[in-house]
Amino acid sequence: MKKWLTAIAASLVISTSLAGCGSDNADKASGTKDSAKNVKQELTLNAISEPPAIDPAMATDTTSGWVLDHIFEGLYKKDEKGNAVLGTAKDVKVSDDGKTYTFTLRDDAKWSDGTPVTAQDFEYAWKRVLNPETGSQFAFYLYYLKGAEDYNKGKGTVDNVGVTAKDDKTLVVELAAPLGYFKELLTMWTFYPVKKELVESNKSWAAEADGYVSNGPFKMAEWKHDSNVVVAKNENYYDNKKVNLTKVTWKMVPDATTYYQMYKTGELDAIQTLPTDVIDQEKNSKEYKNVPYFGTYMYMFNVKKAPFTNEKIRRAFNLALDRETLTKNVTKAGEIPAYSFVPSGVKTPDGDFRKDGGDYFKENAAEAKKLLKEGMEEEGWTTLPEVTLLYNTAENHKKIAEAVQEMYKKNLGVNIKLENQEWKTYLDTTATGNYQMARMGWIGVLLDPAVILDYYLGDSPNNRTGWVSEQYDSLMAQGKTAQDPKEHFKLMHDAEKVLMDELPFVPVYHYTNTYLTSSKFEGINYPYNRYPDVRYAKKVSE
Amino acid sequence: MYIIKRILMMLLTIWVIITLTFVIMKSIPGDPFASDANVLPDEVLANMRAKYHLDEPLPVQYVLYMKDLAQLDFGPSIKSETRSVNDIISDGIPVSSTLGIQALIIALVFGLMLGIIAALYHNRAIDFIAMMIAILGISVPSFILAPLLIKYFAVEWHMLPVASWGTWDHTILPSVALALSPLAVIARFMRSSMIDVMNQNYIKTADAKGLSTFKIVLKHGIRNAILPVITFIGPLAVTLITGTFVIEKIFAIPGLGKYFVDGIFNRDYPVIMGTTIFYSTVLVVILFLIDISYRLIDPRIKLSSGGN
Repeated sequence: MKKWLTAIAASLVISTSLAGCGSDNADKASGTKDSAKNVKQELTLNAISEPPAIDPAMATDTTSGWVLDHIFEGLYKKDEKGNAVLGTAKDVKVSDDGKTYTFTLRDDAKWSDGTPVTAQDFEYAWKRVLNPETGSQFAFYLYYLKGAEDYNKGKGTVDNVGVTAKDDKTLVVELAAPLGYFKELLTMWTFYPVKKELVESNKSWAAEADGYVSNGPFKMAEWKHDSNVVVAKNENYYDNKKVNLTKVTWKMVPDATTYYQMYKTGELDAIQTLPTDVIDQEKNSKEYKNVPYFGTYMYMFNVKKAPFTNEKIRRAFNLALDRETLTKNVTKAGEIPAYSFVPSGVKTPDGDFRKDGGDYFKENAAEAKKLLKEGMEEEGWTTLPEVTLLYNTAENHKKIAEAVQEMYKKNLGVNIKLENQEWKTYLDTTATGNYQMARMGWIGVLLDPAVILDYYLGDSPNNRTGWVSEQYDSLMAQGKTAQDPKEHFKLMHDAEKVLMDELPFVPVYHYTNTYLTSSKFEGINYPYNRYPDVRYAKKVSE
Repeated sequence: MYIIKRILMMLLTIWVIITLTFVIMKSIPGDPFASDANVLPDEVLANMRAKYHLDEPLPVQYVLYMKDLAQLDFGPSIKSETRSVNDIISDGIPVSSTLGIQALIIALVFGLMLGIIAALYHNRAIDFIAMMIAILGISVPSFILAPLLIKYFAVEWHMLPVASWGTWDHTILPSVALALSPLAVIARFMRSSMIDVMNQNYIKTADAKGLSTFKIVLKHGIRNAILPVITFIGPLAVTLITGTFVIEKIFAIPGLGKYFVDGIFNRDYPVIMGTTIFYSTVLVVILFLIDISYRLIDPRIKLSSGGN
């Protein structure tokens, strides 16, 4: 027993002295850094959670996409200004009918292992996405290719899919119909090439950093699951002179207060999605950024269930909200009140899609009350059927729902009930239409209105409202094939107008994202539909 | 004989847990493939379900699962496409157990010391102080304590890193945060047990014999008083070693803890099964070891399976 006690005492002494050592070393290390003149080109970001799939075919989330966008490059890439420009392809020829694209790949396009990127790699990668056995959730983004949908749904063969490598450097792509935003689409990770030999020979090639091969500005260096992903500069990347950073690390810190404190101590160089309670104090800091995010927070109506079968009542519920108050006092992260479905961020020949289109309605409590009364008269109701607002269990959704409940009480004289369900149960409930009014958010992976508006297509699996409009569907179909951007955007505006006239939903606000970025870095871009792009970033001071 | 019987009982217990978990898990509404961006065509969805045998009737799924399990294969995780449940457990458990064992040591060492000192100075100032610390430890939840530790030790005083995993420095704050509440419980257990023991006749005899207080406490006191604490340590050790959700989340630790919760939220059936089976197996085994250790600590306790 005595020995036992001495051992403990000894271990205590050791542990305290070790702790001392640890902090001493850290101080020394930072001391040498300060004196060093050349700046270490390393950047540490926070991915918040483990990317579920760093594989172009399997990724469906922006976290995986964030890493993928830095280690791969498609036929097109985004330049510093966010425009889609040729990437791995050096030339493209489009047929007169706009359906056939012939790409010539760059001669110096190489994989991170030094071997050339070939047209066969692209063909293989795209067909892999479409292969029903792959089970890619984003395969539908490739349905614009000829024969793709049939193959993915098991009705056609792989040979009929409109992507063919004519030789090592020539890729021919055939579309089912012309597509206005094909360039934009090609910058998406689902269209990235994968190295055919590698993926064919090793099914779990994308599970670890070891042996991982990519073709972008960076390459995988380390992946400690649930802890960090590290990428290093890819010397085989054709444009590597433009890449300054030698190393980018994504830590995975889920807790908002924790990552905020890690930013404050310099353990993280940039963070996104700040804890709401610090936004007020950081608002005026030079390091703070509030960037619109290409998505909309909304409440869907079930138009098959009373009282939202009535268009006037749906409109009344739209007009009775006070979105300004909601975003200022409840959500507080600079969200933009939404009076439309498509957020701003889409560049058009006239400027911005949202600014061209403007708002579709104005909030007005008196008008809302009047519409509610008219709607009830139309339906022959003396009292309004009880309304329950459903949301998935989360603190922020709860706060918003409670504010909305209060606003309907005040502005509309209606007492709605609130109910919440755990996420997967919630998805089940809403998919079966077992709700009256339910929360949902939608974020566009691509900066085109079609990607947002697709949500309410009659046959979209996301459309849980029961609202189907032939006019809307046909305007959307025409708008997508329109080659001329002006015509494309006009048809999109027309379609959005149909949606906003019938209002099967309540747009609440357009998302924004909040960022803190260390002033030691320059050249970080903040796209509207992705996390920050650091491909061209540079560290300017220690 | 006793040991064989116990092992058989353990296997039976684990089997019951597996079966119950399987049935309960499948009865929760929701689907692993459901998402708000649900755009998987029915044909592809059918393929995916087939890949995980979700298209089979439940009894068949159960048999298939038990077959894999017999070869210690927990199957693939549905959520993280490329990792198997075996990978998730084998990556997470070294991390979680490092933290758990450190926390357990801190809790034991300081908990026992606090408890013993409080008992020896029963109803005196030291006792009150020790028990104040203990009550504080029990009533301050770890999700309050952890940010406080981070605020002072990392942000204000720059002594330790805020969070994440890598060096030994990273383990200190989470271990302390994890240890405080069990430390307090151990201290209280030890105190009351020790007070009880110190009033026993054999202690008085030892005292009368002229043994020094130090020796009495060490040889007769602690040895007898520690039994109730050991009973408590078993389940505690399992909880600490297999990972805890809150502490691992706050300190961004790549342990197993979050999978116990996320598995259920994602309806990731193989992860739910894998973590539950893993946890219950460790628990059953440790309880068994504790039973055996009673015998070593207290010779009066005999390992027997019945009344004989």
